[in-house]
Amino acid sequence: MDPVADQIERLKAQIVKTEVELQQLKTQLAELEASPSEEVAPQGWRWPLKEEEYARYGRQLILPSVGIKGQLRLKSAAVLVVGAGGLGCPAAAYLAGAGVGTLGVVDGDTVEVSNLHRQIAHSAARVGMKKVDSLIEYCRGLNPEVKYVGYNEHLTPQNAEDVVNAYDVVLDCTDHPTSRYLISDICVLLGKPLVSASALRTDGQMIVLNNPPAPQGSADGGPCYRCVFPKPPPADSVVSCGEGGILGPVVGVMGVLQALETIKLIVAGIGKENDQVPKEPLTPSLLLFSATSSTPFRSIRMRSRRLNCFACAASSTLTLKYLKAGSLDYVQFCGVISPVNVLHPEERISATQYKSIVASSTEERSLLLDVREKEHFNIANIPGAVNIPFSTFQSKSRTR
Amino acid sequence: MGAIPKPPKGHFNVLYFASASSFTSKEYDVLPAPLPIGKLFDALEERHSDIKEKILSSCLVTVNLDYVDVPNRDSEDASSESGVVIREGDEVAIIPPVSSG
Repeated sequence: MDPVADQIERLKAQIVKTEVELQQLKTQLAELEASPSEEVAPQGWRWPLKEEEYARYGRQLILPSVGIKGQLRLKSAAVLVVGAGGLGCPAAAYLAGAGVGTLGVVDGDTVEVSNLHRQIAHSAARVGMKKVDSLIEYCRGLNPEVKYVGYNEHLTPQNAEDVVNAYDVVLDCTDHPTSRYLISDICVLLGKPLVSASALRTDGQMIVLNNPPAPQGSADGGPCYRCVFPKPPPADSVVSCGEGGILGPVVGVMGVLQALETIKLIVAGIGKENDQVPKEPLTPSLLLFSATSSTPFRSIRMRSRRLNCFACAASSTLTLKYLKAGSLDYVQFCGVISPVNVLHPEERISATQYKSIVASSTEERSLLLDVREKEHFNIANIPGAVNIPFSTFQSKSRTR
Repeated sequence: MGAIPKPPKGHFNVLYFASASSFTSKEYDVLPAPLPIGKLFDALEERHSDIKEKILSSCLVTVNLDYVDVPNRDSEDASSESGVVIREGDEVAIIPPVSSG
């Protein structure tokens, strides 16, 4: 083996190992520093926050909308961020910075290079690390005062109650309809306000749901995700960021807005009698962001709870027990896509097979039609191929 | 996307968001007014076949930034809404759920 390449590999391995050790030391230090013995205020200290906290939060403390009261509410609040990706990274960073008491993060994935253009809390050095650990490490670097709880798993009907129960407010930063309906349902059942956002390509949506939270059937509660979108989109139309693409700042804007709405909710007092702030309207707005539009932000006035809502209506049969028993099949509800299967195996050839056919045939030139979108074609293509994107004849056949 | 022009006299604009825009390859359409809201989906299906099943069945619809129920689809709670008529100059929006993140 090339001695230089060999040395590079050894150094890389050593760096990864040392990084892990360093991380363990940092976690130990943070845990010791956050331990209760340190909480004892110095003799004669008669202020509600620690000295360090006045310095750290001073710039937001002097805002009339926050103040000492708001900061103390933030400090006693537990916030759960579900999804440590493009939305969850900025949302968690700002919530950690603002000084929420406890920040929980749920995600079962690991960091990949393709995440880094938008998932700002992860880093090139942490590729391969659990997203939960990476995001918490980033947030701890911003603010070691916060208590962090990582759940290195995806939310499921079985674990949802145990994970969500301890929190005051939940942020949906996930990327699929199945998780969106599950998170909404558990928030209705446990009475938690839900700050939900999403983004794809150059579009984003955000809405505060189940706010104020109220028992099923109560007209005092805000609508849930099912009230807004009772029917999931057809499974074959659901496009992920991996397939459809996403511009980093678009998803970033939506995550930052989620943090903002969450801070506003907590500071105003969740489930508390608000003194100066008027009661939250039962009809929230759905915020639409279209990065390429001349009107990038639009606010849609929504309705109150849907009288026949599957989850939050009086007639709803949804219960914690029902959910945990797995009686609701979210995958089935959102539909399963079967892969396109119009050709028999003997009718298919690989790119390698095609190459050898072209190389061996002397006379007749074959025509190669590449039906991928032109952006894909432009990234890489086989010489001589003609690009006619499938979507162009799909839309031609549709438009009459 | 540039600024969307005001609809001509006797018409209204339908704006397409997210997957509705990808599906139609358009940012908006101009339709003749008045149109009862219950007939909107049929009018759009005439211009873009399959849009009902692929997009409209799961989207939310607004008129002038207010959420509206569409009677044909939301038949259970249609009673109060069946009278809504889209008028000249209105801005209708087709808003499918975005679920990625």
